[in-house]
Amino acid sequence: MGGVLARATTHALVGLEARSIEVEAHLQRGVPAFAIVGLPDKGVQEAKERVRSGIASAELEWPMRRITVNLAPADLRKEGSGFDLPIALAILAASHQIPLDMLMEHAALGELALDGRIRPVPGAIVAAEAARRSGLAKLLCAAESAPEAALAGIEPIPVRHLAEAGAYLRGRHEPEPVGEPPAYAGPPPPDLRDVRGQERARRALEIAAAGRHNLLLGGPPGTGKTMLARRLPGILPPLTREEALEVTRIHSVAGALPAGQPLVPHPPFRAPHHTASTPAVVGGGPGPRPGEATLAHRGVLLLDELGEFPRPSLEALRQPLEDGMVAIARIGGRHVFPARFLLVGTMNLCPCGARGDPGVECSCSPARLAAYRQKLSRALLDRFDLVVTVPRARSQEVTGAPAEPSSAVAERVIDADRRLRERPPPIGEAAASLLARAVDSLGLSARGHARISRVAVTIAALAAAADVAPEHMAEALSYRSPSELAVAA
Amino acid sequence: MTYGVLRLGGAGYPSLLAQLHDPPARLHLRGDPDGIFERPAVAVVGARSCSAYGAQVARTVARELAAAGVVVVSGMARGVDAEAHRGALEAGGTTLAVLGCGIDRDYPARHADLARRIVSGAGLVVSEYEPGVEPAPWRFPARNRVIAGLSLATVVVEARERSGALITADFALELGRDVFAVPGEITAALSAGTNRLIRQGAAPLLVTDDLFAALGLEAAAAPTVELSDAAARVLDLLADAPRGHDELVRAGGLAASAVAAALVELELAGLIAEADGVHRVTRIPGRAA
Repeated sequence: MGGVLARATTHALVGLEARSIEVEAHLQRGVPAFAIVGLPDKGVQEAKERVRSGIASAELEWPMRRITVNLAPADLRKEGSGFDLPIALAILAASHQIPLDMLMEHAALGELALDGRIRPVPGAIVAAEAARRSGLAKLLCAAESAPEAALAGIEPIPVRHLAEAGAYLRGRHEPEPVGEPPAYAGPPPPDLRDVRGQERARRALEIAAAGRHNLLLGGPPGTGKTMLARRLPGILPPLTREEALEVTRIHSVAGALPAGQPLVPHPPFRAPHHTASTPAVVGGGPGPRPGEATLAHRGVLLLDELGEFPRPSLEALRQPLEDGMVAIARIGGRHVFPARFLLVGTMNLCPCGARGDPGVECSCSPARLAAYRQKLSRALLDRFDLVVTVPRARSQEVTGAPAEPSSAVAERVIDADRRLRERPPPIGEAAASLLARAVDSLGLSARGHARISRVAVTIAALAAAADVAPEHMAEALSYRSPSELAVAA
Repeated sequence: MTYGVLRLGGAGYPSLLAQLHDPPARLHLRGDPDGIFERPAVAVVGARSCSAYGAQVARTVARELAAAGVVVVSGMARGVDAEAHRGALEAGGTTLAVLGCGIDRDYPARHADLARRIVSGAGLVVSEYEPGVEPAPWRFPARNRVIAGLSLATVVVEARERSGALITADFALELGRDVFAVPGEITAALSAGTNRLIRQGAAPLLVTDDLFAALGLEAAAAPTVELSDAAARVLDLLADAPRGHDELVRAGGLAASAVAAALVELELAGLIAEADGVHRVTRIPGRAA
């Protein structure tokens, strides 16, 4: 026996968590060979070629030995390309090209290019947090991943090339300091100033933002339903740092972080197309990976043309709408992804789209109309607290003066949000009796009753009222699901 | 469930119906006929695929008739017929559905619940066909003759050029009963039949008092409701023409939240209704100005 053993530490993503992985490289005499064991998937197997070329390109020596790399624990399935760098470093340490004791003080994460450059991989912030928890103070990673890793409270060592990583570990290269992540410099979210007219829809957006109420916008095509929905993140209360980190973790794992923008600055906005598969919407896959519902966590999920989404996708959204999370069961265990989002749906009032447009006559047969509306189950429609019909804007509105900007609306929303968290206004007696009267004459369900009460509390909070007055309750009633959206009249 | 049969010439057979030149030999009943056929009855009929305007006029006319103690007769079809039955039930009144199939058939199926409500509201479901007879299109004109025959007057709410409701109007005219037609826009295909009826001499239904005058009845006094200032302002605007919420905000100079609250106040008072985002008054002017 004999041979040389070296170890490097890295982290593998399991759902939204990172598990510590020990990368052992063992060099033996014998016919030169290279094997990776420890349940690597296809992508990790391919690391062999990248590591070999990367080491050669870094003008380091590829040991002409029998090389065995083991990824421990061996029962965890390893996916992705982030193992390239730790595998290369373990082999270099085993062949005494870098000092092993120095390597042991670091976690490492990164993909190798054939020319030895180091590329970023998803989930750097999650891996960095796991490294810090396991007592490591430094993370060797791609330069692009460094600002993200810094958020986890670890010292990132940004390395652009495998040669640079080797030089650093031999003490011949000073890593560049990584400062605070730059302030957000991208385009601002779309502003409500651009929306002329649409007083009712604007008001509904404000209420939705203040009380996190799910919103359904109905109306003929081309009336700006989608445009309105896109302006919702801009009036939501800003994310706290804790929330921003949570959202950043999710987006990092999904590889959805914008380049150069480590910390997600605004509530996210996700708008999956209606052709998206059910796992793409709620999460899934062998991994499993978070879906759009989780990517919209603490932000807005827009389902444009709700009626076009396949029924299973819509039904799968009921769990996150109810519990604020998605649970995915796998043989390996149960994964829970947070998914607390504000749902906005848009739909035409009928399949041909003409309904609600005074200028066009609807050509849908009653049977077709019923089929279109039946697709949205009562159970899903019941999750929308606010239902608003968006009419076609008149020409004078389109050319009118600019409307109130998002910043002014956001101020009211932030105030109301604070009131709702600190002391939500109680429902006054007069408001309660108005609701009781409405339940009788409008035929509201128990769920509808509770929903309207919640909306009324939000409206009172927006008005800074001491308690919910009848006018708040009346306004809340105006956003109830109208009978024509109900299944079969 | 109480099923009953009335025979032509027998006790309880409605005398108005016997005036038809071919009255049904037997009339099958679902529900208790106690005194219903002695009360004044008015038919409210019209298109299946009616407009929001037609639906609301049908409901309002039926509600006001029922509130004054008139039995509302219709055919339980989709659209105007169903709205007429619902309007009568809303007023806590009596309504009578005439079917073109057996009284146990619940046709159309979606109105099974409506049929139950009609019967439990002291109303009747009637048919000249034996229980078990399936619905068939060729039976509907004959059914319409029963609707006209049971009614002192017939109100046609919306009808296309070739509509079953016009057949009902023809039977009513043959019997020498009053026919009222609700005028519509001259460009609307759904009102082509009713507007033609008016040209041919049917009375245009402009105010509900016309209807009560023809029957020699008094309208029930409309309950007075106290409205908030905003609601009164919104009602004034809607009396001019149906409008959407946003138009009301601009025309009324009110905040979006105030308009929304006012609209609910008016709706709960039964003064307006909404369809596809457009609000309209449900009341027909009581008397000519």
